[in-house]
Amino acid sequence: MPPAPTLGLNMSYKESKNNSKDNDYKNNNLSILIPQKEESNNDENNNNNAKPLAKLLVVDDDSDIVQVLKLGLLKNRFLVNAFTNPEEALQSFKSNAESYCLMLSDIRMPTLSGIQLARKVKEVNPGVKVVLMTSFEIRDNEFSKVFPSTHVDGFVQKPIGIKDLTNKILSIIGETKRRVDKDFAS
Amino acid sequence: MRANTSENNESIMKWFKEEVAEGENAIIIYPNLQTFRQIYTEYVKDQLAKTGEEDDDDNSTRNEQLKPRIILIATFYETIDSVKHNLNAVGVDVHKYIDNSSLVIVDAFSSYYPDVSGMKKLVASLSQRARKEGRIGVTAIVDMGFFFLFGGDGRATELINYEASLAPKTEGGNVRGFSCYHGGNYDTLKDNQKKELAQKGKKLLEVTESAS
Repeated sequence: MPPAPTLGLNMSYKESKNNSKDNDYKNNNLSILIPQKEESNNDENNNNNAKPLAKLLVVDDDSDIVQVLKLGLLKNRFLVNAFTNPEEALQSFKSNAESYCLMLSDIRMPTLSGIQLARKVKEVNPGVKVVLMTSFEIRDNEFSKVFPSTHVDGFVQKPIGIKDLTNKILSIIGETKRRVDKDFAS
Repeated sequence: MRANTSENNESIMKWFKEEVAEGENAIIIYPNLQTFRQIYTEYVKDQLAKTGEEDDDDNSTRNEQLKPRIILIATFYETIDSVKHNLNAVGVDVHKYIDNSSLVIVDAFSSYYPDVSGMKKLVASLSQRARKEGRIGVTAIVDMGFFFLFGGDGRATELINYEASLAPKTEGGNVRGFSCYHGGNYDTLKDNQKKELAQKGKKLLEVTESAS
């Protein structure tokens, strides 16, 4: 079994292995479950071998929400780059802007709000779709202040099920998706 | 004043509770939401248990008959339900205090948008009600995140104008106002903008994150 990448578990694994060799603890059974592979928080991951539907940038300052969204969207065949820090998300986006189909971002985040982030990613890649999420009530007139200077393709009220979110994203990226499929095929 | 979260929790609360007097507006800069939660939950728990005789030493005779103050929390990065949950978690009977009108929790967005003066109107109405009901006064803990939502220099101008419209001290006032800034937002301001926020000697507490 390969050692786990996490330091603590790695040390436990080594100690266990060494103890069993050197000291021959025949009567003591120690079982340690070590993950074979640790998921990186901000890395792209593809859950299966099926062709990915699209590449998404997911941003929310709540790490629990980011994790749930990332796992759920990966299972639904999206490539996901997820961040809790909007400035890091923007840097990552800038480094490979053309690869993204859609950004899914929380609205109320300190330092850089979802609205500001939307404006910046659209400046870099006007073709990217933007969906903003919020736990707060969305009023029809709430974002009239930023329109039409910031074009937002959709809003999502949290909490939302992954199935509904996936359908929402698919409906928004409909045309973009075909382009991405083509890119991945080539 | 600068305070560090690791070593100075007591001094943070002392400043929050004692350094800012009735009728004063002050500024708090918090490093993260976790610290902000600790500050407001501890303060609310303490203040809602207080009646008039425990307040202002130099005014104890007048305050003897006064009821607990009204506390307004205008949240921006947390939902109203999250704030209620946080207060419940430290033992505050949220429903009781909301029912007896001692605790008011609102979404700051709704009080600033579309009319930015909405918050001031809300605080003024609470101030009037506090006088009418014979309460110590009002504490307004207001997250200023709204002013950073849309971004751009123009918003900073609006923020500075708004903060300037809150006098550092109002004689005879019964409101203790705390404009609360997330450090990440505050740091996006230029130095001259930061100075303008704290103009005319407005008290300012900058809470920094512990190194550990």
